[in-house]
Amino acid sequence: MAMITTNKIEHNRLTNNNESYRHLFVIIESLNKELIPSSLEMLGEARRLMDNFNLKYNLNEKVIAIHLGDGIKDLSQDLIYYGADAVIYSDDPHLKYPINKIYTKVISQIATDPNSIREISPEYVSAFKKPRYMFFLADSIGRHLSSTVLAELDSGLASDINKLVISDLEIKHQHKTKGENITYKKILEMYRPDFSGFLWTTILCLDNKNPEIKKEFHPQACSIIPGAFLPIIKDTKRTGIISEYHPHFNEEDLKIKVLKQELVKNPVQFENYKIIVSFGRGIKENPEDNIKLIEKLAKLLNAEIGISLPISKKIFHLSEKYDSIYITPNRVVGTSGRKVTPLIYIAVGISGAIQHLEGMKESDFIIAINPDENSPIKDVCDVFIKGRMEDVIPLIIEELGKRLGQTREKEKEIQVNTYGKL
Amino acid sequence: MTLNIAVIVKLEPDFSEGSVSYNPDGTLNRAETKSRLGAHSAIASLAAFYTKVKYGGYISICSMGPPMAEIALQEAQSISDADELHLYSDRLFASADTLATAEVLKQGIKKMNTGKEMDIVFSGHRASDGETGQTGPQTAWKLGFTFLGNVIDFSVDLNNRYIFAKRLVALPGFYDIVEEIQAPLPVFIAIDPSYKPTFDTISLRLTSGRYLKEAKERAVNYKSYLNVLDHKKLELDPRLVGLPGSPTIVHKVEKIPKARTTRSAELIEGDDRQGIINSVTKILQLIQK
Repeated sequence: MAMITTNKIEHNRLTNNNESYRHLFVIIESLNKELIPSSLEMLGEARRLMDNFNLKYNLNEKVIAIHLGDGIKDLSQDLIYYGADAVIYSDDPHLKYPINKIYTKVISQIATDPNSIREISPEYVSAFKKPRYMFFLADSIGRHLSSTVLAELDSGLASDINKLVISDLEIKHQHKTKGENITYKKILEMYRPDFSGFLWTTILCLDNKNPEIKKEFHPQACSIIPGAFLPIIKDTKRTGIISEYHPHFNEEDLKIKVLKQELVKNPVQFENYKIIVSFGRGIKENPEDNIKLIEKLAKLLNAEIGISLPISKKIFHLSEKYDSIYITPNRVVGTSGRKVTPLIYIAVGISGAIQHLEGMKESDFIIAINPDENSPIKDVCDVFIKGRMEDVIPLIIEELGKRLGQTREKEKEIQVNTYGKL
Repeated sequence: MTLNIAVIVKLEPDFSEGSVSYNPDGTLNRAETKSRLGAHSAIASLAAFYTKVKYGGYISICSMGPPMAEIALQEAQSISDADELHLYSDRLFASADTLATAEVLKQGIKKMNTGKEMDIVFSGHRASDGETGQTGPQTAWKLGFTFLGNVIDFSVDLNNRYIFAKRLVALPGFYDIVEEIQAPLPVFIAIDPSYKPTFDTISLRLTSGRYLKEAKERAVNYKSYLNVLDHKKLELDPRLVGLPGSPTIVHKVEKIPKARTTRSAELIEGDDRQGIINSVTKILQLIQK
């Protein structure tokens, strides 16, 4: 009797919605046999989501890490420790570099071949068509890879996500549902901050249920902003299935060759500075002169200079020199750029979109210079100097000049005295 | 032989001061903001121009958008000396996501230059408003072209039909890598914002000057180079474009909740000299700790 009941439950599970689409595939990135840290952040979020998912829907779907490379087999265990239920890896000299075309084809093979999950979840093999969900990293590799893989799998993709929720949603849509109310189950709500940093757009990937354009869109996939989520704490007691996948290569594709890879040091090293001075749209009245003012302040303080995201869109006309030094993506502070935690952070003319605040709010001491007292940045700073930067910074420079001058004089005095004693 | 070159461009909000307008809550005021050729599209047009100057070629530029997007094509022509302009405009294309957009662009690119196969397709890094960076690679995939992203420099071996490209691969929180890669043509190149072409010989500079002059003249009469195509002319299945062809929808747009107040700021008026002196003292104390 008990046996029959179990089978019935299993049957119910299999005839549930979307039975052909199972599991969450996380596309892991590594470089020179080292895991890229943000891959573990994705795994952490995947773990949290699927734990809730399995509890809520009484299912046993898995977080499956997909990892391609050359000599990377040994990293599989770590992926289990960091939250994966299973790992599918392909270890092959042709996969040494993440060449878009080759990686796209291998990942697509894994995502559509029921044999890829045979060892991991034999109960779903017969029905398996594609993964239910797929995560990629929104970096220079994953952003493009996610695009091409989803073009191949013919499904939807949202980019630069920093919040994820799985829920059942009632949808009424002109095209998707032909204006009817239809409940979609197990939908991944993908939250994406827009370019201003003030709006969150929720993207959904939904089947066309409208009979005229009927079509299933799976997996529901996204690329995730590096730094958006936390990894789980490494747990060496975790166990999981590690499964090798042998892909097919197309001879023509192997003509694409990486000739050389050179690690380059980012010329902007925020970590090496105790102080960061960043500027935003508040420089607008006289952009170049104001940047010169900020440069002067930064020099006095031995600080590195950062910028807000809108500035990186080259919204001001600047001379080539200033444009090429300061208006570069590697100076952007925030979730779309770098996360910084200096001793002192000085925000000049930055109103404080959340994506910027997330990148600097853990600094030890924060000073904001801004004419608008209602700017959100005020909520995360220690000192808010209400005023135009053109008025305030010269005062600071003057005072700093005096005091640093004094200190230097004193140092000289001490030196002179020391010599005197000799 | 010369190259068949395509460029995908986009009409975008002009974020430069004076053109852009923001709502009081910090969001973009789309109605008041002017539009023009996107900055990254301009760089892609420049890369095409460089290719034409250096290797010779026929440039076709396309854009999907409303009728007014022709001004983006005009601007791109004035940069690139394009020989042909394609505008894919149809109400059915509206509100497409990246996959449905790529479907239109793929079909259009196949019809460029009387249906000849392209050798290189250029696109920008990403649009400044949508910012997904997905449309380029998805169009490449649908065309069956090798996709090379973040390209900062490239050269073409015309005889063997190969491209050599340098790519800047940024892995936040890890390393940046400069990669040198070779691939057989045809390829699709998403050009990196840091790309800067150099015309390093006298002959290149002369050719460049001549083409640039031609480009300005052509752009004045851009309409005579312009071909507007709808879904019928493109022979596109309406179910694969616009909203019906889009797997994704925008479900909702909300304001991102303000960050929790984490500190209570001491407010100093900008003309409060003593307040500023105190702040400087605090800075110096912290540094000297």
